Amino acid sequence: MTDTRQESLIREAIAAEAEQAVDHRTVLANLHGKRSRRRPFALFAAAGLTAAATAVAVIVPLSVDRTAAPASVDPAAPPTAATTRTVLLIGLDGAANTDSVVLARVGADGAVSAASLPRDSLVDIPGFGQGKLNSAYARAHAAAQAEGRDGAAAGVEALKRTVEALTGVAVDHYAALEMAAFSTLADAVGGVEVCLKRPARDPFSGVDLPAGSQSLTGAQALAFIRQRHGLANGELDRIVRQHVFLRALATKVVQGDPAKLPELARVAATHLRVDPGWDLAEFAARITPTVRTAIIPLGGEVTTPDHGHALSVDPAAVRAFMAEFFAEGATGTPTGGHSVPPPAAETHKPGRQPSAGDCVD
Amino acid sequence: MPDDYDQFVTDRLDRLLRYATALTCDKYLAQDIVQDVLLRARTKWGRIGAVEVPYLYVKRMVTNEYLSWRRRRAARDISATHVSLDELAPAVADPAVGHAERDAMRVRIAVLPRKQRAALVLRYYEDSTDAEIARILGCTEGTVRSHISRALHTLRVNENTPSEVLR
Repeated sequence: MTDTRQESLIREAIAAEAEQAVDHRTVLANLHGKRSRRRPFALFAAAGLTAAATAVAVIVPLSVDRTAAPASVDPAAPPTAATTRTVLLIGLDGAANTDSVVLARVGADGAVSAASLPRDSLVDIPGFGQGKLNSAYARAHAAAQAEGRDGAAAGVEALKRTVEALTGVAVDHYAALEMAAFSTLADAVGGVEVCLKRPARDPFSGVDLPAGSQSLTGAQALAFIRQRHGLANGELDRIVRQHVFLRALATKVVQGDPAKLPELARVAATHLRVDPGWDLAEFAARITPTVRTAIIPLGGEVTTPDHGHALSVDPAAVRAFMAEFFAEGATGTPTGGHSVPPPAAETHKPGRQPSAGDCVD
Repeated sequence: MPDDYDQFVTDRLDRLLRYATALTCDKYLAQDIVQDVLLRARTKWGRIGAVEVPYLYVKRMVTNEYLSWRRRRAARDISATHVSLDELAPAVADPAVGHAERDAMRVRIAVLPRKQRAALVLRYYEDSTDAEIARILGCTEGTVRSHISRALHTLRVNENTPSEVLR
């Protein structure tokens, strides 16, 4: 087939356009972890270097000045007018990316139940139609900013409505955390103990850790909860890490030196945004390090023309799971939640979640 | 598996960047999209690497990325491209007729609707068949032909139109 003159011209024009492409060596360098000069945060966001919202459950009580409340809660003391509260925990990565979304219930007894909602879950976003969970905040944030409104407030509101619609659970409070808190916080508590099944090295998160038990501080603590690349189950393995880190951090805070609390509170408060109507002092005085964690039930991976790769979720299954997980007096993890597949050699029961002492991938 | 991925990136990165640049008419947007897609592809490489032609799969990811959530930003950036093209035009020392015609065509292509431009780039830059284009764009071959014929019609109609219309 010979081209018409018009077609030849089109070919030349498109080829000329393609010639404008940036030097692939620059991009290769970026892919290998160097920062892009033009948008220093682009790679940060794209590499999925995410916040660990799970740890908000620890940060929130920390950010309160506890001079009036003792660090250790006396279990015999009856909570005064304490009621069950649900809290939406949002991990932000510095841009408008909500890479960790956790719905937590804090019971009247102070026990925390936290369910992770994977960011790639394909859900209905009220007012925007179907999309990935992590686009709810970003879309509303962008739309609000375009109209000169508060992007963060709109983002939180959109995410809250999305999560409520998906889970059937009314959200009482929210807390949004910038992940920059974690390296500082891990330092402040003198290291967070974790155990790795195998060495972890990944240029995207910058993680470089040996196998075995170790105490994480600073940048490596952050890298540990950020790493997604090079893990067999990617995002889901990372959620497990965040859970493990959260528990270890909570343990450390509760067992640690009360003299350090003011410093921890200062670190936490600078990176945290919570809803104005929330009595943090009451919440902090009552919370205990008893934390149950789970991941909502997930369908398979789907590829959609509009959203790329996503995880399908069945809202009915999620609602049923959440109702059981958040039920008064519930213990353990109800069936139906997503469990990260354990290595074939190990015979974990389905739904089992690793605890603080467990070694993780 | 990572070796396989690294090899793919080494072999295909340049080509993907050029394709994305032709698609977006914005080299920086193209860079962002390709980086983003390759980082995502890396986590799924076990699966993507196993498909018959991983390049087609990744190209489809790049195309979708451009056609879907970046659309508003892309629209804004095309107008910026115009300005820079107009600014560049007088600076060309040797006003070779061929280049002037070609650059005028670039501008006309840059304002085509996204899907039409994608179909055009796939046919005339990637030399894809209608069936391949249909797979990448997620539509029927009939729709592909319709995109291309509309694009060709628009480009023909505009051929004799002075570029003021486009500014």
